[in-house]
Amino acid sequence: MYYIDLAVTGISFGCMYAMMSVGLTLVYGLLRILHVAHAAVFALGAYATVLAANATGSLALGFLAAIIVTPLFGMAIYRLLYEPLLGYRPDVPMIASVGLLVLMQDAFRVVFGEQGVTFRRNAFSFTTFDFYGVTVSAVQIALVVTAAIVFLGLHLFTTRTRIGVGWRATVSKPRIAASFGVDPIKVRYLNFAIGSALAAIAGGLVALLNNLVDPAIGFVVSYKALAIIVLGGLGSVRGTLIASLVLGLVEAYGTIFIGAWLDRDAIAFLALIILLMIRPQGFAGARAA
Amino acid sequence: MLKLENLGCGYGAVEAVHDVSFDVPSGSIFALLGPNGAGKTSTIMAIMGHVDIHGGRILLEGEDITRRRAVDRVGLGIALVPEGRQLFSDLTVDENLTVGGYARPSARDAAKRERVFGYFPRLAERRSQLAGSLSGGEQQMLAIGRALMAEPRLLLVDELSLGLMPKMVDLCLDTLTQLRREGLTVVLVEQNTARALDVADRVCVMSSGMLIYQGTAAEAKAAGSMFATFLGMNEPAQP
Repeated sequence: MYYIDLAVTGISFGCMYAMMSVGLTLVYGLLRILHVAHAAVFALGAYATVLAANATGSLALGFLAAIIVTPLFGMAIYRLLYEPLLGYRPDVPMIASVGLLVLMQDAFRVVFGEQGVTFRRNAFSFTTFDFYGVTVSAVQIALVVTAAIVFLGLHLFTTRTRIGVGWRATVSKPRIAASFGVDPIKVRYLNFAIGSALAAIAGGLVALLNNLVDPAIGFVVSYKALAIIVLGGLGSVRGTLIASLVLGLVEAYGTIFIGAWLDRDAIAFLALIILLMIRPQGFAGARAA
Repeated sequence: MLKLENLGCGYGAVEAVHDVSFDVPSGSIFALLGPNGAGKTSTIMAIMGHVDIHGGRILLEGEDITRRRAVDRVGLGIALVPEGRQLFSDLTVDENLTVGGYARPSARDAAKRERVFGYFPRLAERRSQLAGSLSGGEQQMLAIGRALMAEPRLLLVDELSLGLMPKMVDLCLDTLTQLRREGLTVVLVEQNTARALDVADRVCVMSSGMLIYQGTAAEAKAAGSMFATFLGMNEPAQP
């Protein structure tokens, strides 16, 4: 039963990683920019969820506020930070992105305090269910169910709707897609809006999981999500999903076997280094000739 | 239909096409010929809005479209069959056709798709297949079909025969001829001079970014070896 418990933990963490990383994958796929400031979007989503939930007394309204605020913030990052830098080498917008992340972390510290914020009422975080001896928390169920809905929705959107198909066409060949009327600028905004909304949902769920949002919440996300998208094969949503689940499971089981020597994040990065040495092109990347 | 007036265009400060003027009559096939690096593709890309315009004007049925955004030109009735097909290889045949019709109301998609499958029945059999997995000939069919989904008045076709078997080239050129009969105007950039002259009504030859010859296809054929010298390449078909 213990190993099943670990699998549940691993899969739920994997789902969280997938939701927070997919926005990075989408931006990289479209613009070839490592959108490090995505971690700030994630943190903003977490803050917005807690603050709005506390203000309204409704967790649902907390999440709703987060998925309204963060897409606007994500689109503003594109318009004000990346668009003016698109003509430069890809490392220039990436460095600007790192700068924004640091700035936002300090802004969160100044505005909301060093100690962070917590939910005033959050019975949800402490609710657990017992399935034939396997203990599953309500947040873990929420993570898996939300990720399933989100990724199924994303799949249906990108395969069954014109806008979604146009989006994939733009990622594949932006100039040719524009020749057929798919506006690349609108696609970029859509990209940032959807990626940011997903990060906000992940941020809100992590806030529930920890019952705390502090200024450093985005920090671990920033480097872990970057490692996930590299492992996923850079730009591949499917690869990101696989990499996220693998990382979640490796972390969960790793803490049992080598947790005495290494903490959770160190185990994750040890696994990432080993996996990238075995498969440097990532899970979905083409093998180099 | 299409008129270029003293067009100069290129990439940044580098000018690839200098002072080019021609007039494409409505409902005709207009062949743009010339050796590699002559500026043919740059001219097509200028009409499509993908290169920097340095001077001159592009008129579509009298309307000046020189400064219109590339993304808006398909709505004016211009569609592109680019060099090397440039399909969305990770999208299925059906999805490529969906993108082709993106600028038009979706209500007409089904009827247009059937029309494309009427021209190219093989695409109907492959509609769920990824474009990247099609043969070269099928990919060229899909590139033409995708452009037809945009309901163009003017079709720009860049290097249709490149890398294709002669049988497949014939099939694609026959389709263009049929489309011309249905009223479509075609600008055809082609290295295969003989085949281009077989289907074209008018011809213009470019070299080093400049226009060096203009006339009817019949005149070009009559010019025989002199015309081939213009091109510095293969002999045109004899009349």
